[in-house]
Amino acid sequence: MADPAFIALSVITVIGAILALEAKELIYGALALGLSLSGMAGLFILLDAPFPAAFQITVYVGAVVVLILFTIMLVRREKWMQIGEKVAIPGVAGALAIVLGFGFLAYQSGFINSTGKENVVSSISVIGDQILSAYWPVLLVLALVLTASIVGALTLSKVEKE
Amino acid sequence: MPIENFEDFIKRVLEIVFWVLVFSPLVIFPLIFIVLPSMMGLIGIMIPGPIGVNDILAALADPLKSIPIMTEFMKTDFFKIAVFPGFTWAALIATGAILIERKLLAKMQLRVGPLYAGKFEGVLQPIADLLKLIAKEIIIPRRADKLAFWCIPFAAMAVGGALLAIVPVSKQWVVTNLDVGLVVAFAIMSFFPIIALVAGWASNSKYPFLGGLRALHQMVSYEIPLLLSALGVAVLAGSLNLVKIVETQSSIPFLLVQPLGAIVFFIALMAELERIPFDLPEAEPELVAGWMTEMSGMLFGVTQLAVYVKFYALAGLFTTLYLGGWYGPQILPPEMAEANAVIWFTVKTLAVMVLMMVPRGTMTRIRIDLMLKAGWGRLLFLAFVNIFIAIVVVQLGIVPR
Repeated sequence: MADPAFIALSVITVIGAILALEAKELIYGALALGLSLSGMAGLFILLDAPFPAAFQITVYVGAVVVLILFTIMLVRREKWMQIGEKVAIPGVAGALAIVLGFGFLAYQSGFINSTGKENVVSSISVIGDQILSAYWPVLLVLALVLTASIVGALTLSKVEKE
Repeated sequence: MPIENFEDFIKRVLEIVFWVLVFSPLVIFPLIFIVLPSMMGLIGIMIPGPIGVNDILAALADPLKSIPIMTEFMKTDFFKIAVFPGFTWAALIATGAILIERKLLAKMQLRVGPLYAGKFEGVLQPIADLLKLIAKEIIIPRRADKLAFWCIPFAAMAVGGALLAIVPVSKQWVVTNLDVGLVVAFAIMSFFPIIALVAGWASNSKYPFLGGLRALHQMVSYEIPLLLSALGVAVLAGSLNLVKIVETQSSIPFLLVQPLGAIVFFIALMAELERIPFDLPEAEPELVAGWMTEMSGMLFGVTQLAVYVKFYALAGLFTTLYLGGWYGPQILPPEMAEANAVIWFTVKTLAVMVLMMVPRGTMTRIRIDLMLKAGWGRLLFLAFVNIFIAIVVVQLGIVPR
């Protein structure tokens, strides 16, 4: 039950997330976000899913955190947002309520008691087959969303030039 | 003893060397033969029955008896990570690469120092560099961010070393044989711009900061062509496992099947490694040394070693993907197939490294807007063409899968 690797990764993820919100220096906040996301990748590895773990790091740490850092350094405004105590407490309470609610639902559904061994998909070729056969509408929708966002970005950049 | 002139200095150094030589056996041998066996349980080494503590103590008297212990030790993961395909090996190659690079450039540009320092062809130059770096004071700018500044060299080293873990030197000598090795390589590579950027920010100085921003700008332009050109190899091999990718190339290296992808990957790799003509983040005439400007003493030494370890690891990745990894004609007797594989991998990797060094002596730096244009306008297009070539080749069944 109490797997030390799981506990360590959870602590890294949660502490990283808290630091990302609370760090005085924005840069440290962004780095802590990267730490938190790396912890998530570690959790994926514990779930026997190295492929999502690698892409979690490539996309979120490699691209998203880097873009956030880039923006922070270009804007370079130290105190552009005041964090009040009033906002924090209801926010934390709400988040706890949501997490506990979902946790309760998951517990009720009997998901925890199933071993899950029979559904383990660890090979990429199996994932590829599944995406191209059973889940092809999802792939299509994802491709459409990406195309639409690329077209949108191109249009925006054209507008800015003129 | 005060040091007043150069002779005193030499005397002092010799004295220190003498006492180190006298005392080090007293410390190192007990460490190897008594502390190590007790640590073996910690690092997960299983010594089989016949070897026990008595044998280890006997090995103190007779060095020949330590051979079976060392053979057992060489089979462990700890050895793989720390010594052979891992860190020590890479650091040795990295140091050698620094020497080769200086000599090559010196030959190309007729520089005197690296050609004649030391008795024979300037071989003592890296040792002189190391002594200089160790002797220098570590200076941290007063308004720098101390924590981040101290972390940078070690973070760079950790990320460079992580790459070593997945590049297979031979079928046996690979630290971790992952199913998704290629994707993991890109995941590790995506940490480098963060390090450059944070180094630039932590130094609190304008040149490192500009260097860090340029590192990011450069990443935006080469990262996607790099990924896409490697995708062609994955399509051909039908796997993301680096060992399997090499095994597919046993008859024909992918360089001959995918010359276009190899060229795109090579160019993007040069940009990833920040080598001339893509050394915008550490442009010497403009930015002093880019994001490494404020590093001094051994902090700079560690950062520089990390850069060269990364250089070796990525050249090894190119060898793995396009040059057929450890395959090559058998030049040693057949019972030494493993050594043969290691030799071929090393020779190919060194050849790639030298090929990447040559432009440093001959080419000028690319302009930053042209870099972006080349990355997105040319390399990306060529990478897509390359993927379609790979698919056609697979459909025609030219390469055995």
